[in-house]
Amino acid sequence: MRGKGAELQVKLRIQRFDPAVGDRRLVPYDVEVPEWATLLDVLDIVKDTVDGSLSFRKSCRMMICGSCGMRMDGRAILACRERMKPIVNAGHVPTISPMGNMPIIKDLVVDMGPFWQKIRQMKPWLDPGLAESPEKENLHSQAAMEPIQKEALCVMCGCCVSECNSMESDPEFLGPAALAKGFRLVGDPRDAKGIERLEGYSGEHGIWDCTRCYFCNERCPKGVDPRDAIAKLGAEAIGQGIDRDPGARHANWFVHSAKTTGWLRETELVPKTQGLVETIKQTKFALSLARRGKVPTPFPPHVAKDVNESRSLYDIVKKQGRSGAAGIVQGEKALRKLEH
Amino acid sequence: MSKVHDVLVIGAGCAGMRAAIAAFDQGADVALVSKIHPVRSHSGAAEGGINAALGNASEDDPEQHAFDTVKGSDWLGDQDAIEVLCTDAAADVYELEHWGAVFSRDESGRIAQRPFGAAGAPRTAYAADITGHVLIHVLYEQVMKRGIFTYEEYFAWRLVVEEGRCVGVICWDLLNGGVQAISSKTVILATGGAGRLYVGTTNAYSCTGDGMAMALQVGVALKDMEMMQFHPTTLSPTGVLITEGCRGEGAYLLNSESERFLKDYAPKAMELASRDVISRAEQTEIDQGRGIDGDVLLDLRHLGGDRIRERLHGTRELSMVFAGVDPIDDPIPVRPGAHYHMGGVDTDLWGLTSVEGLYAAGEAACVSAHGANRLGGNALMETITYGRRSGKAASDAARELPAAEVSEAARADAGVQIKALLDRSDGERPHGIRDELAQTMHENFGVFRQEEQMLEQGRIIERLRERYQRVVVDDKGSTFNNDLTQALELEFLIDLAACMIPAGVGRTESRGAHARPYDYPDRDDENFMRHTMVTKQDGELKLDWAPVRVTKWPPGERTY
Repeated sequence: MRGKGAELQVKLRIQRFDPAVGDRRLVPYDVEVPEWATLLDVLDIVKDTVDGSLSFRKSCRMMICGSCGMRMDGRAILACRERMKPIVNAGHVPTISPMGNMPIIKDLVVDMGPFWQKIRQMKPWLDPGLAESPEKENLHSQAAMEPIQKEALCVMCGCCVSECNSMESDPEFLGPAALAKGFRLVGDPRDAKGIERLEGYSGEHGIWDCTRCYFCNERCPKGVDPRDAIAKLGAEAIGQGIDRDPGARHANWFVHSAKTTGWLRETELVPKTQGLVETIKQTKFALSLARRGKVPTPFPPHVAKDVNESRSLYDIVKKQGRSGAAGIVQGEKALRKLEH
Repeated sequence: MSKVHDVLVIGAGCAGMRAAIAAFDQGADVALVSKIHPVRSHSGAAEGGINAALGNASEDDPEQHAFDTVKGSDWLGDQDAIEVLCTDAAADVYELEHWGAVFSRDESGRIAQRPFGAAGAPRTAYAADITGHVLIHVLYEQVMKRGIFTYEEYFAWRLVVEEGRCVGVICWDLLNGGVQAISSKTVILATGGAGRLYVGTTNAYSCTGDGMAMALQVGVALKDMEMMQFHPTTLSPTGVLITEGCRGEGAYLLNSESERFLKDYAPKAMELASRDVISRAEQTEIDQGRGIDGDVLLDLRHLGGDRIRERLHGTRELSMVFAGVDPIDDPIPVRPGAHYHMGGVDTDLWGLTSVEGLYAAGEAACVSAHGANRLGGNALMETITYGRRSGKAASDAARELPAAEVSEAARADAGVQIKALLDRSDGERPHGIRDELAQTMHENFGVFRQEEQMLEQGRIIERLRERYQRVVVDDKGSTFNNDLTQALELEFLIDLAACMIPAGVGRTESRGAHARPYDYPDRDDENFMRHTMVTKQDGELKLDWAPVRVTKWPPGERTY
C-alpha cells in the first residue's frame, strides 16, 4: 500500500536495451519512494513517473510467482525480495541489469524460452507407471516425502540459471533449475521412472557437467539449493550403478581410494576416470609431472598410517544406510541468510 | 500454427489449466492464452489449502462441507452449485495427488487436513503453506505432458461475438507487439479476480479482472459484484497475504490491549470464525482506537519455532522480508485487505454464460459457490472442480458447433482503437487514475459501506473515466510494451468498479462481505435472497436480480 511511512530517496542505474535500435546503456535514476519500498516498487515508480517505456516483468510481488528475476550489482535476485532501505542507508547506488545466460528481449526482460525448453527436456511430470490410479490418495509418510520438499519450493524464476558457470561455457548444459526439477521427480516415492530419468540426466550436458561452483545455491531466492539437488541426483545415479560418465567414475574413484589407502590415488585417477585411450594421450604430461616429483609411484600403493580411520568412516556411512540422496547433507541457506 | 481452435482458455492459473487439461482429455484442440507465463499466475500465491471432505483428520462428509459453505456464504450461495463443488471435491483432490501434488501427510500417510475458518471439521488439505504454488506447478506439469499450446504473454483484450456466438478473442502480443485474433469454437474465461481495484490487496499486479470486464462488454451479466472479500490477515503495509493456516494452526489475533478481541465477536469459533466476521471485528477494533497504527497483531509465538518452521515456513519468510518481523519472536502486524471477488461472470453449473460458446470458471466466474462470503480453502477447490467442468462442457459443445472465425473487420477495428491510444501524446499517464481509483474504493467501498459513500464513489469513478478518455501511453514501441497493456487493464478496472456501485447501493441489507452497519445493519431474507446482476446495455449499466437457488438449507442464523 503506498503512502504510509517516511520517504526514501533512491538512486540507481538501470541497464536499458531497446531492441528497435540495438542500443544498450546504463541510465541513472533518482526517485522518492516509501521507506518500505522494495526494488520492484522502485522500478514501478520509475516506470510510472519517469519513463513508461522501462520494461520488466512482475506479478505477485510476494516471492512466489518468479516473474521479477533480474540482477542487482551483478547478482541474480527477485526484485520484490530486495528492500531498498539498507542499500540507501549504506549510500550505495545499485546497478540493475537483466539476468545472465538468457538473451535480452528488452531492458530487464529476458527470453526464457531456452529455460523452459530444458525444463520440458526433463519430462517433468510424475509417471507412476500404474495402469490405474488408486481409488484414494497414494499413502506415503511425511518422512518419505521429505527429500523433495526443497525442490518443490522452486518458483522457476531463473536466478540459478542466470548465475550458472557451466551453462556459460556449455549453453546446452541442463542447468540447475531443470536438474532440481529432475530430482523433484526422482526423489518422489510415487514416481516409477527413476532409473530411466537418471540414465537420461547422466549423459552429456547432464548431472556430471556441473562444475560445483555453488553459485546456484548461493543465489537461489527460495532456498531450493539446486547444487544439492544435482549432488543427490549424482549419488542416486551411482547408487543405481549408472556410472559410465567420467564424472561418476571420478567420484567413485575418490571413494575407493579413500577407503583402500586413506589417500587419493592420483596416478590411477586418470585411467579410472577417463579410460585407457585418454590415459595414453596424457602419458607425456604424467611423466613430466613424475620427473618433478609431483606424482607418487602407483605401486605399491602408498597407504596412510591412519587408514583405519578412513575405513571406519566409510563403514559408519554404510551402516547408517545413507546411500544415494540421503547421504547428501543439506544446507538451509535461504533462512540462514535472513536470520543473521 | 494457425490460430483456430476448438477450445480456447483465457487465463492459465489453476482454473484455466484444469479446464485446458479436461478439454484436451476430451479430445479437443485446446490452447491457453495468458498475459503472463502460466506458473506466474496468482493461483500460485494461495497459501492455506484446498477443501474436500476426505475425512482424514476426523469424520466428515460432502453434506457437512456443503452446509458450512452455505452458512459461510450467508445463504447467498447457490446451493446446487455448492453441492456439486462439495460432492466432486474429494475425487478432484485425489487426482491432483495422483498427478504428483506434494501434499503434507498425516501419521497414516494420507493427505493431512487442517482446521480452517467456519469449517465444521478439519477439512483443508494442504502443502505446508504453499498449497497454491504446489498445485499450479503440478497442473503446469500436466499441461507440458499433454503438449497443450500456450499463447504466452498474449494480453486478451476483446471477446468477439458474432451472431450471438463467441468465436474468439483479440489479443495484444506483448513480446512482438501487434493485434492478433485467435478463433475458437468455444472460449473459457479463467482470468481470476480484480483485487487491484483496491489499494490494500493480497492480489498480484495481474489481478485486474480482465475476463469479467470483457464479458461485460459483450452483454453478459456480472453477478454479485458488490461481494468483495476482505481477508483479515494481510501484512502491513504491503497487503501481502498471511495465510488463514496460521489461525488453523492456533495463532491468536490481538488488539493494542493484547486482548483476543474476537471473544466479543465470535466467542465460540474465535480466530476460526468466518473471514467477513473477523475482518469486521478487526476494522471495528481499529476504528475504535484499539489498533496499532491501523493494524492488529497476529501472534504465533506460542506455536513454537519448530512448528512455525515446518508448517508456516513461507509465512515466516514473508513476515521477515516484508515487515522485518520474525513471527517466532514477535507478533505480525496485519489488517483487512481486498482478497477475493465472490462476484463475477454469471454462469450455469457447467460454466456456460448467456452467450453461446462463452464459458467462465474460477474467480472470474460466479456460479455461485461462495455467495456473500467465501470460506478459506474453497477457492482452490472451485478452480479445480469448476475448471474441469467448464473444460469438459466447452469441449463437448465444440464438437457440435461449426468452425468459428474472427472476422478481419473485428481485428482491424481493435487495431484502430489500440493505435489511437498509442498515437495519443497529449494527456495524463495512467498511474494517477489507477492510484486514485484504488484509494477511493478502499475508503468508500471497503469493509463497511453506506449509501452516500457508495454514491460518491460512483461519481468519482465517472470522473476518473473522463480522465481516462485522455490517457497517454509513454511507450510507443512494439516489444514488451506493458505500458500499453497496463493502460488497457486500468480501463477494465474502471468498468468493474462502476458495476459494483449499483449492486452495492441496490442491496439495502447487510450480508456477508456487504456490511452496512450504519444504514442497513440486518440481513433481509425476505427481499434479498437474490443475486445482483449487472449488465451493460447501450453503454448504460442496468441492475437486475436473480433468485438464489435453494436445495435443502433454508436461511438460518449465522453465528460462530
